[in-house]
Amino acid sequence: MKQLWREVGCMLALVAGMPLAQAQLQSKAPAQDFVAPAPGSYALPPIQPAADGWVLEGNGLPRRLSRYTHGALTLLSFVYTYCTDPIGCPLAYATFDTIKRRVLADPVLRGRVRLVSLSFDPVNDTPDAMRIYGGEHALGADLPWHFLTTYSTRFLKPILDDFGQDVDIELDAKGAPTRARAHLLKVFLLDRNGQVREIYSSAFLHPDVILNDMRTLALESTGQALAKLPPQK
Amino acid sequence: MNTLSTRVFATAIAVACFCAASAGKALADETCNSPYTSRLIKGQEHYLHVWTLGVKGIGDGSDKLVTIDADPASKTYGKVIHTLSVGGRGEAHHMGFTDDRKYLWAGRLDDSRIFVFDVGSNPAKPRLVNTIKDFQAKTRYVGPHTFYALPGRMMVQALSNGKDHGGATGIAVYGNQGKLVSTYDMPKSMKEIGGGDGYGYDIGINPQKNAMLTSSFTGWTNYMMDLGVLIKDANAMKNFGATMALWDLKAMRPSKVFDVPGAPLEIRWSLNGGDNWAITATALTSKLWLVNQDAAGQWQARDVATIGDPAKIPLPVDISITADGKGLWVNTFMDGKTRYFDLSNPEAPKQTYEKVTGKQVNMVSQSWDGKRVYITSSLLANWDKKSTDDEQFLRAFDWDGKELKQVFEVDFYKLKLGRAHHMKFSAKAAATAALDAAPARVATAAR
Repeated sequence: MKQLWREVGCMLALVAGMPLAQAQLQSKAPAQDFVAPAPGSYALPPIQPAADGWVLEGNGLPRRLSRYTHGALTLLSFVYTYCTDPIGCPLAYATFDTIKRRVLADPVLRGRVRLVSLSFDPVNDTPDAMRIYGGEHALGADLPWHFLTTYSTRFLKPILDDFGQDVDIELDAKGAPTRARAHLLKVFLLDRNGQVREIYSSAFLHPDVILNDMRTLALESTGQALAKLPPQK
Repeated sequence: MNTLSTRVFATAIAVACFCAASAGKALADETCNSPYTSRLIKGQEHYLHVWTLGVKGIGDGSDKLVTIDADPASKTYGKVIHTLSVGGRGEAHHMGFTDDRKYLWAGRLDDSRIFVFDVGSNPAKPRLVNTIKDFQAKTRYVGPHTFYALPGRMMVQALSNGKDHGGATGIAVYGNQGKLVSTYDMPKSMKEIGGGDGYGYDIGINPQKNAMLTSSFTGWTNYMMDLGVLIKDANAMKNFGATMALWDLKAMRPSKVFDVPGAPLEIRWSLNGGDNWAITATALTSKLWLVNQDAAGQWQARDVATIGDPAKIPLPVDISITADGKGLWVNTFMDGKTRYFDLSNPEAPKQTYEKVTGKQVNMVSQSWDGKRVYITSSLLANWDKKSTDDEQFLRAFDWDGKELKQVFEVDFYKLKLGRAHHMKFSAKAAATAALDAAPARVATAAR
């Protein structure tokens, strides 16, 4: 019976993934009618330290979030697997996918960037659901892309609060909580020390800008060896 | 198994359909706020928050946030439903929402304090959650004026500085939690980009162009001076801004300075998709100025219309652009008029309507659909008119495209509140609850 429900879960995820995939195709990066400023020609003052807390990945063993926010240039966003808002999670997913491809082709950034997608919904987004959501990206074979969740809302909320990420639970007609989340898309760029150096929203989620921000942070490290990331486990 | 597959498929379709109904996000706010502010109110606003100057001898004499019921379906429509005094009088002036619209930042131009109100938890009863008292000490600037949201941050445009209380000033960027992140001086004597007078006033951002515009007003010495005295002081009258600046937003670096004489104030980018122009009004010269790119792609600022009779100094003090970028409300303080300009051709705006809406009028705000227009009365404590001309109110009007019809008024003196200045809209929370309302099952339970 356990095996059956695992299959049912996967089928649900796959079928539910149909609109997700559609939304990802429909998600459209905001118009960028300018040339991104050159890397190193501007500063990215530290905004705030990254939040910390206990998170779950893959095998379900709890790990500190700081493990995923230090030691590399990190792009982090909060998502939920069944979000279909074209300028919400699917846009974040599509943007991360673009960033991944371009980082892999960039000799300065390759090996120094990680991506993190952390779920808004610890109830429905189990570690397995997040792994399925991540697909081959979750394997991290060429670039680490971690698909994380938390044990419960009690563990998630302090992380959201410390990042300044809003989220509300949508209610049904009877006032009962539903699975849908109302949130403002924010993508956080962290330096190697876990400091938030830029925050992007759907109006400003330009891959060219994000990549030059990463290169700007990489240039800050000139004079000190940039550690290569260990293989994803 | 067929039955099971059918059940699974039906469940999956239900899930998929449900997901498609999740809430969307807005890229813009009611016609005048940062493009990074979310939760656009496209329907009926329910509350008006009015940042109000305390007046000695009137009520508790304190600056306060006044909340008015603006929902026509409510029993308390048009009434004050909540007041929140913050203590003291420090020249309460402007406000701005954070990007998530959960918090409202409000500034005082005299003592440079910034108050952060929680308007997300219960917009009918805002709560003061933070007071930033060291703005001047940390930034060297004085007079936090414009509050303009960036993702996760608040940009604060100041009017003055602590060294000489003149007009040279800058922009401070804070994290949403209230920590100062960085400061940026306004361009001054930067010959390579066209000069600059160092003054500041408003901020307007066009994300698509990575363009930020700033305007220029005057310093503490002037804005705290009695207006009648100021006008007669020829030297003081020289100390007004006469420029706008274009910035590379990403780099936070000024790239071009425009000569715009006469204190250009509020900046409004057209919100119409595909438009890439902004408009402003000059207080002292009574002109509308357009900022856009010429055929060669170079940004330019040009005088495109006159507001009233400049010789009479009507003093345009606030503008409000329609959501489609086709119209502009202009309030002129001295003659108490609210004027409407047709912006169908932004190169040549034409006034099509005017009405005296008060003995003195300052801020003007409109709903997203343009059907409702709200007006307040106070400009600055020492610039407001005297005696019987010193009306203090918020007036609400309906606009049918032809006539402004007053639907309610809140008399701020009669209710012993003070001087009504800046206003912001909020709405009852949608059908949402805090994250704590979610089921508390653990993620691993399903495995």
